[in-house]
Amino acid sequence: MKAIRVFLLTAWALFLAHSVRAELVIEITQGMDNPTAIAVAPFDWAGAGTPPEDVAQVIENDLARSGQFAPVDRGDMLARPTRQQEIFYRDWRAINSEYLLIGRVSVTDSIQMRIEYELYDVNRQVRILNGYEEGHVRDARMLSHRVADEVYETLTGVRGAFATRLLYVAVERVPGEKSVYRLTMSDSDGARPVVLLESREPLLAPSWSPDAKHIAYVSFETSRPAIFRQELATGAREQLTNFQGLNGSPAWSPDGRRMAMVLSKDGSPDIYVMDLGSKALTRITRHYAIDTEPTWSPDGRSIYFTSDRGGRPQIYRYDMASGNTERVTFEGRYNARARLAQDGRSMVVVHQSDGQFHIALQDLVSKRLFVLTSTDLDESPSIAPNGSMVLYATKSGDRGILAAVSVDGGVKFRLPSREGDVREPAWSPFLPRGQ
Amino acid sequence: MRELSKALLAGGLALVAAPLYMSAQAQDYIDLEAERERSARSEATAESRPDPYAPQAARSYPATSFGVRGAPAPTQQAQAPSPVDGGAAAQGAAGPVSGGSASGGGNVGQLFMTVQRLQQEVMRLNGIVEEQAHELRSLREQSLERYVDLDRRLGLLAGADPGAAGGAASAVGPSSSGESAAAPEQSGEREAYQSAYNLVRDQQFDQAVSAFQQFLQDYPAGRFAPNAYYWLGELHLVTRPPDLEAARQSFTLLLELYPQDQKVPDALFKLGKLHFEKGERDKAREFLERVVSQHASSGSGAVNLARDFLRNNY
Repeated sequence: MKAIRVFLLTAWALFLAHSVRAELVIEITQGMDNPTAIAVAPFDWAGAGTPPEDVAQVIENDLARSGQFAPVDRGDMLARPTRQQEIFYRDWRAINSEYLLIGRVSVTDSIQMRIEYELYDVNRQVRILNGYEEGHVRDARMLSHRVADEVYETLTGVRGAFATRLLYVAVERVPGEKSVYRLTMSDSDGARPVVLLESREPLLAPSWSPDAKHIAYVSFETSRPAIFRQELATGAREQLTNFQGLNGSPAWSPDGRRMAMVLSKDGSPDIYVMDLGSKALTRITRHYAIDTEPTWSPDGRSIYFTSDRGGRPQIYRYDMASGNTERVTFEGRYNARARLAQDGRSMVVVHQSDGQFHIALQDLVSKRLFVLTSTDLDESPSIAPNGSMVLYATKSGDRGILAAVSVDGGVKFRLPSREGDVREPAWSPFLPRGQ
Repeated sequence: MRELSKALLAGGLALVAAPLYMSAQAQDYIDLEAERERSARSEATAESRPDPYAPQAARSYPATSFGVRGAPAPTQQAQAPSPVDGGAAAQGAAGPVSGGSASGGGNVGQLFMTVQRLQQEVMRLNGIVEEQAHELRSLREQSLERYVDLDRRLGLLAGADPGAAGGAASAVGPSSSGESAAAPEQSGEREAYQSAYNLVRDQQFDQAVSAFQQFLQDYPAGRFAPNAYYWLGELHLVTRPPDLEAARQSFTLLLELYPQDQKVPDALFKLGKLHFEKGERDKAREFLERVVSQHASSGSGAVNLARDFLRNNY
């Protein structure tokens, strides 16, 4: 019955990550009309043997995935400088590259990795950024993502979100048996998947604590659905709820001290807030309709949730101070599972139009709704911490895959799993350095 | 039985946690309700009492019905002697149905169904109220916006000395040496224009229409004629009911008679919006794109307005 295994997120688990199944592979399906051309020259390697990671390639892939950059093909590069004095701008102008990133990687004591990087504006012939990242060699990819973040921020003015992680549930269908559910964490590019929890009973609704040190999810491993909290560093788990009926949709408050959730212990599903210190519950909604899928505004002053109290599922906002509830979505017959951008100015929802389920972005200031996706059966949207991309689950053939779309709808990519279904993605907050 | 209810719970939670089975979303919502009903029923069968209303209860929950049709006649409901009070009915909704004779259980079942139908009905009405309140709010905002826009233009007009520069109505644009500026001012023209314009300020739109029409008769080639055409167009849009055709004619006359006037971008924008409101999207787009392509350097506020409008609607 208790066919459940918890995986410790130790260095070894991370190191052996490549052996884990359900790795995601990225396919860019739609880029911007005029992306910025940038050349990422292969970085110099000062160390024994082959480098643990092609740092330049990781950075290049990150920038390409954003859809805002068109990296120059390595085969087209006329030179491969790694230092300033080796740069001849005409080489890069000749291939119409607007920017050039060079760098050097070194490893000391086969533990400590250092990536130095320099970004040049080819047209103005000046260096516009230089810096370094240092860390454990096993975090080579994460360090590379951090370099990509710096480059992205310098060139777009928006903080990069490459050095972040994804949570998702991978489902392996076993013929004649129960499916295997794997709660998985990967880098933002789908690489280095780590299974955090494996179960023969459904796992649902993974979510991040604001400091990205804990996760919460719903597991059916006991006789009824229950909300669990798990520490990433140690794998230590704690069962937070064990109420009659539904226990679902955990959502951490921005201060990390409370958790909104759905319980049906008093009849129909309603929104409750649990104080994580005292475990005391506060009932937020009291309605015979179904109130579900709570999410916090970034300022923690309101909770957005889905309710069919108006006959159809729509998004409502509960104001913590006044206790008032107001309806937020009016366009279309179905709007559900809201997630707010970090600036609190917009929200993504699952929106039904023409009988299809799409991801839509609602501007909370102008109240306008924009449909972002053209695929059907889109669900579980999750916004990147810098508000640039929306990750969501959809179907490709009969398989569940993850896909992403930029908040302006211009850039799209898919992260299909090599095998099995992938669903319920949750994009992490910005990660503190060293995590 | 336990397995069944667990499976049902699984279905319910899958919906709550994330609408995984969205293709059957309506069904999911029903499932949850059906689960409640079934748990009530399972209690009943546990006491090995056949519940003749159970299948009916399950049937009475189609996705589209809000419980009006097929409901027991209200008079029957009212007259039915109720052995259970409201508290028991609420308990029935929560699950267990205990005690009472078989007919008592039936009444509870009926009450339960009635409550459910009433809930559905209230939810439906609630939705309508929410939507209508929203409609009202956005209408109010729209009319306020329109008024503020008008007021802003009037303020600009009032602030500028009408004689100082041709087409002073549009202070957003730099004064251009258009045909209007070249037209000499006739005696009494400014006063006539000003009085017509004062009517606009006082929101006496119908009188303002007549005043501007009179003005154009008296001073057909006057210095303020382009402005008068423009105001006539605007006024035809705000009178009740709006006269789209008259507005279109006024704006079009302005374009044809004074193609260099600095009100031209505004008139083009208004024509675009006007055609859009008439549902002629292609025509509307033509005008809006003319604003953007031909008047981008004019500095007119209409350029941005047109650009926004195109972005939001096309």
